Amino acid sequence: MGFTDRFQKTTEPRHRLGAMEADHYIYSAGIAGEKFFTALRDRGIILASHCKACAITYVPSRLFCERCFAELTDSDDREVGPEGEVATFTLVRQDSAGNALPEPEILAVIRFGHETTGFLHKLGEVSPEKVETGMKVEAVLKPQEEREARITDIAYFRPVKK
Amino acid sequence: MSNRDVAVIGVGYTTFQALTPDVNWKEMMFEAASEAYEDAGLDPRKDVDSFITCAEDFWEGFSIFDEFTPDQLGAVLRPMHTVSGDGLQGLASAYMLIRSGLCDIVAVEAHSKISELLTFEGVVKLSFDPVYEAPLFETAHPYAAAGLEMRSYLEASGTTEEQCAAVAAQHKRNAFSNPIAGFAARIETDDVLDSGYLFDPLKKLEIAPRADGSIVIVLASGDVARRYAKPVYLEGIGWSSDSPWIASRGSDAPYAARAAEQAYRKASIANPQKEIDFAEVDDQFAFKTLQHLEALGLARPGEAGHLAEEGALGRNGHLPVNVSGGSLGCGHLMEASGLAKALEVTLQLRGEAGKRQLSNARVGVAQSWRGVPHGTGAVAVFSRRD
Ligand SMILES: [Zn+2]
Repeated sequence: MGFTDRFQKTTEPRHRLGAMEADHYIYSAGIAGEKFFTALRDRGIILASHCKACAITYVPSRLFCERCFAELTDSDDREVGPEGEVATFTLVRQDSAGNALPEPEILAVIRFGHETTGFLHKLGEVSPEKVETGMKVEAVLKPQEEREARITDIAYFRPVKK
Repeated sequence: MSNRDVAVIGVGYTTFQALTPDVNWKEMMFEAASEAYEDAGLDPRKDVDSFITCAEDFWEGFSIFDEFTPDQLGAVLRPMHTVSGDGLQGLASAYMLIRSGLCDIVAVEAHSKISELLTFEGVVKLSFDPVYEAPLFETAHPYAAAGLEMRSYLEASGTTEEQCAAVAAQHKRNAFSNPIAGFAARIETDDVLDSGYLFDPLKKLEIAPRADGSIVIVLASGDVARRYAKPVYLEGIGWSSDSPWIASRGSDAPYAARAAEQAYRKASIANPQKEIDFAEVDDQFAFKTLQHLEALGLARPGEAGHLAEEGALGRNGHLPVNVSGGSLGCGHLMEASGLAKALEVTLQLRGEAGKRQLSNARVGVAQSWRGVPHGTGAVAVFSRRD
C-alpha cells in the first residue's frame, strides 16, 4: 500500500487502543506548600510569602522569589485576606467532556492588594450575571472538621456583604 | 566568503485535517520529510548533518517519544534529538547548531496526531499545577483558563468582544485561499458573536479546532544556502517562558514581548512596525492574535483590535496577519503550530503562496505560544534579502 491507498472511513483503519500508565503519581506539596496548607486547615488563614527586594507578595506562600531568585523564609510569611478583589473571572459553561454544565461554574483570580500575585479559586453565593471585576469578595472556608489541608478547604469566595 | 547565516532551503508539509486515520504518525512525518528533502534537492542519508523533532510525550501517547523518530526522517544512526516544545523552539536549536559551526544542514520536524488522543482535555488538565490549580478544574473544561486571560486582556487593553470576533471570522475566511487548511468557513463577525459563550467572554468560534499534520523545514548555513534559488533567511529567533502560576501572570503576553526582543536584536530590527511586512502569530484563541501583535510591537497596546475592525490585518491591509488562516482556519497543530507559522512566512517570502500571495513580502515574523495553561512563546524573523 502507498499514499494512493488511503482509507476513507475512520472506522476502517486497523489500530490498537492503548492507555498511558501514568495515573498514579504523588505530587508533594513541598516545604512552602506544607506551611500553606497546614495554616489553611488549622488556622483558617491564607498564607503568603513576601519578597522585600521585589515588593511582591506571593499567594500561596513559596520557598523562593520567581523575580529575584531569593530564598523566602518564615520571616517573609504574610497572612492575606480573607477579603480580596476579583481581578478576572470566567463563567465556565462546559465540562471537560464537552458537555454543557447545568449552571455555569465561576472561576476567578482574586487579588489581595496591589502588591500581591493573583490567587486562583472559585466564586460562590453569587449569580453569574452579578459578577464583575473589582468586586470585593471573601473566602468561605469549609468547617474545620471537614478540612483536609487542600486548596479546596476554601469552598469558594463570595461577595462581601455591604 | 564563509558565513554562519542560517536560511531555509527546503519545506515539506501534509495537509492539516481534523482526522487522518488513513496514515499513522510515522507515515505522516515521512510524507512531510520526503517533500522537504525533494524541495531542497538533498539526500537525508548523506547530506543532513542533524535532525530535530518537536514533540511532547503525552500528546504522542509514548514515553521517551524521541526514540521513535529517526527512521521516518532518514535519521537512523545520525545525530538526532527531540525538543519538548513548540516547533519554533526546535527551529531555535537548529539555528544554534548551524551558527555554532557544528552543522551545515539541519532538518526540523513538528507534527500533530492529536486526533488519536482520546482524552485530550485530561492531558491538558495534567499540565495544570497538581496541588494548587488542578483541583479547581475538577469539573471545568481546561480552556476556562483562556476565558480568565481573555477578560484580563480585554479590560487592560480596551479591546472589545466584537474586535476579537472579527479576528476569528477573518482567519477562517483567509483559510479558503490555503489549500492545506482544514477549517475554512464563510462566516462574519456576527456569526462568531452568536456562536455562544463557552468560557465568558470566550466564544465557541473563537477557539481553534484541533488538527493533524506534519511539517519539515530544512535549514542550512549561508554558504550552502547560496547555492539555492530562493533561500529565505532566518534573521533572528528568540524564546521565553513566563511564570507557570496562572494567577501570577500579566495580561499582555510578556513571553512574546521578551521573545520578540531577542529575535529583533539578532535580526537588527529597530522598528518592527516599519520593518516587518506581515506576521503569522499564534491564534489558538482569537484574542491571542491581538494580544500577541501588541506584544510583538506590531501594534500599540489596545490598538490591535481597532486594526482588526478596520480590516488592516487582512490580506490587503497594511499589516497582513495570518493570511494562511492561522490556527483558527488551518486547525491547531499542537507543537507544530509554530512551524506552521514559519512555513507560511517562508512560502510568502519565496513567492509560493498561491492565491494568498502578498505583494512586497520581504520581511515576515512567525510567533508561537504553547497553549493553555502555558506561558512559553517563541518568535522568528525571516527575510528574503533581495
Ligand atoms: Zn524577589
